[in-house]
Amino acid sequence: MTEALVRDTLKEVLIEEFEVEEDEIKEGANFFEDLDMDSLDAIDLIVMMDKKLNIDLKAEDAQKIRTIDEFVALIMTRA
Amino acid sequence: MNTRRVVITGVGVLSPLGNDMQELQEALEASKSGVQHVESWSEYKDFTTRVCGLVNWDNYKEIPRKSRRSMGRVAIMAAKTMMDAVKDAGLSEEQISNPRTGISFGSTMGSDEALFDSIGTIAKEKTFVGQNSMAFLQFMSHTVAANIAAMFKIRGRNIPACSACTSSSMAIGIGYESIKYGMSDMMFVGGSEEAHPYNAGIFEIMAATSTRYNDTPDQTPRPFDTERDGLVTAEGAGTLVLEEYEAAKARGAKIYAEVIGYATSCDGEHITTPSSEGMEQVMRLALDDAQITADKVGYVNAHATSTPKGDIAESHATYAVFGDKTPVSSTKGYMGHILGGCGVVESVIGLISLKTGLLPANKNLVTVDETCAPLDYLFEHRYGNHDIVMNNNFAFGGINTSLIFKKIEEK
Repeated sequence: MTEALVRDTLKEVLIEEFEVEEDEIKEGANFFEDLDMDSLDAIDLIVMMDKKLNIDLKAEDAQKIRTIDEFVALIMTRA
Repeated sequence: MNTRRVVITGVGVLSPLGNDMQELQEALEASKSGVQHVESWSEYKDFTTRVCGLVNWDNYKEIPRKSRRSMGRVAIMAAKTMMDAVKDAGLSEEQISNPRTGISFGSTMGSDEALFDSIGTIAKEKTFVGQNSMAFLQFMSHTVAANIAAMFKIRGRNIPACSACTSSSMAIGIGYESIKYGMSDMMFVGGSEEAHPYNAGIFEIMAATSTRYNDTPDQTPRPFDTERDGLVTAEGAGTLVLEEYEAAKARGAKIYAEVIGYATSCDGEHITTPSSEGMEQVMRLALDDAQITADKVGYVNAHATSTPKGDIAESHATYAVFGDKTPVSSTKGYMGHILGGCGVVESVIGLISLKTGLLPANKNLVTVDETCAPLDYLFEHRYGNHDIVMNNNFAFGGINTSLIFKKIEEK
């Protein structure tokens, strides 16, 4: 799995499921401060990415993610 | 006991007949039907009915995402009517979030769609992995009340009223009593139901759904008619803004009507079989609460769902209270049975009746079942000068509600 695929998938999920505007999805964007998400959104983001990429993400991983870059890095360690 | 007068100052409604009070009025006057043929239900095996009253509205993005994410269609429709009612009443955020402003909303079920999507998978695969955090919040019993409270920052009392087909009429009653007896100054009340084959399927198991009019959906349901063959499930939602009369008058609010009477009581008998005695009792209790005699009521909106037993029992209960001189109709013939939302939508029809004088006909009533009581059934629309209407609703569990509204002269 390439990082580009992970980033594209994340972008697609953020736009389609969380109604984030495409131009807000920037490297380093903070889910909670920049994208108006919260802890419940983080759990659902984990579930959706897990399904899309068939990786081993758990609900507790939601507590570890703050930014797009951190989340992509976390996914790459599980890929 | 000192009590306070309660008036209705805002209305929001989504129904198979229209998505605001004006549309609903015009569709009623034109005798339109909101019942449609639903071919997609054919995917269910051994399931016969194909008719349902559907709301033509899905502009979900009117509800902000963070509020909407924990809502299924049942709560989304209710939230839309709440937005419309708040706007209609001209309320500020301070008034809405005042600790003396509360809510009461209900539905038979939370979101059936969310329930199916979530529980079906869990039960089959025996795992919770892959479930999102929102499904429960969408299908829990008080999803409508909980979501509306969060979205509109309600700080006062929140009393969910989930009692199947009396959910939203009971919610109106709870709001009325809350203000009348001084616990709140303003209450947002109502209810909702989303269309789903589950609702219809459960009634079909009980041999209570209409199945003979799948290709002529505008001819069913047929309350009180000899050719009725069961109820037609429907979806819809509604919100009323209730306010203490003096406060509403002081702020110059538009007043639709006064709630002058409400009662709820229970049959305490069979879980599904309706009791004529219980229905009669609740109507008499509501008249007592309103401190009026039955002859003062100019129109009765009956619950009559078009089931064989229910319509007969209700007709005799209504006859025992009103005799044959009070115009009676069930407006379910136009749109089907909105279950948890029927009480509020039919109350809005009562408000339309007070405003316009319209006494809506029993759509699809051609020949009254001879075992029904000899009421003054409305076969065609009439127009009257009445100033009081009654709205009755009855639910599984033998739960009965009766509401009485009165026209008020604004001064």
